[in-house]
Amino acid sequence: MARNLASATVRLSGNGTVALARWGVRLVPALACAFGLLLGDPLAAASNKVRISNLSDVAFGSVLNLSIDAVRSQNVCLFADTNTNNYNITASGTGPSGAFQLSSGAAAMAFEVQWSSAVGQSSGATLTPNVPLTGQVSAATHQTCGNGPATSASLVVVLRSAALSSAKAGAYAGSLTLVVGPE
Amino acid sequence: MDYSRLGRVASAAVVAAMVHGTAVAATQGTLGTTSTGSISIGASVPNRVQLTGLTDVTFANQDPASNASNAQNVCVWSNTSTKGYNVTASGSGAANAFTLANGALTVPFSVEWAGSSNQSSGSALTSGSALTGLTSTATNATCSSGATSSASLIVRISSANLQSMQAATTYTGTLTLVVAPE
Repeated sequence: MARNLASATVRLSGNGTVALARWGVRLVPALACAFGLLLGDPLAAASNKVRISNLSDVAFGSVLNLSIDAVRSQNVCLFADTNTNNYNITASGTGPSGAFQLSSGAAAMAFEVQWSSAVGQSSGATLTPNVPLTGQVSAATHQTCGNGPATSASLVVVLRSAALSSAKAGAYAGSLTLVVGPE
Repeated sequence: MDYSRLGRVASAAVVAAMVHGTAVAATQGTLGTTSTGSISIGASVPNRVQLTGLTDVTFANQDPASNASNAQNVCVWSNTSTKGYNVTASGSGAANAFTLANGALTVPFSVEWAGSSNQSSGSALTSGSALTGLTSTATNATCSSGATSSASLIVRISSANLQSMQAATTYTGTLTLVVAPE
């Protein structure tokens, strides 16, 4: 990148029009990069891009004891290439208006979703459908956690005993969508 | 678009679905200004019933000239699609007979069940035989919300049997009720 910049600068001093036409594609990002390096601007290092991966389906199986909560937690990879590594996360379910709800025919059963920006957690901040949970920080150093920390957050799904004991017998299914944004 | 990569992702998704036994496999997010992932969630709730709200029955100083009767509201909850259940009763007498006893002295009693609250009579139960086709209105396993009770249990001692009892003598026994989903 530095070599391209040097070459373009020489040509600009001789024939700027020709040089811009020939090197324009590489010149603009090169200049931006150079200014960033010269000024030591840390903003130039962050792409403000995020990625969520390592998600697994949640299978509670047959819940034999309906009088206690059923909890499933998983470690996921949340990568945030922002200046602060901050991100927000918004969840929605397949119930009405994005409600966290499983269904079995006409019968429905609510579930809870919790999120923690630390790994290995069995509880976290409770998510509300379609409402971002802000101020989360990622420790991931690779977009799929291929190196560095293998995971960076915990996703917890809870079937409350109250919901279990009021649900009709049957097989329930639904899905959960998670949208991550940079901060 | 890299369709070969997309194919590999789809194949991996199918494998993941088979492993987890769920209909739809998790999808992973891509790097971008936002990133979206999704998972499927599955759970199975087995047939369950619960009987609560039972109260001991005491007949004290009963007049042998009159039938004795005690009715109580109980909570039966069933989570089947029809909220159906059956109930089977057994006593502590010989061959699970509905009898009270004091040593060698015994007296029979009868048991009735109604599938709704506040009933003073119901279907007669036979020891060890299920009364089927009942339906619960309970919306909570212990009737702590919604309907506070959903069935009636009636225990009787007839005047004739009261007259067979020895005076100033306490007869005791136990009634066991088993509820099952339908």
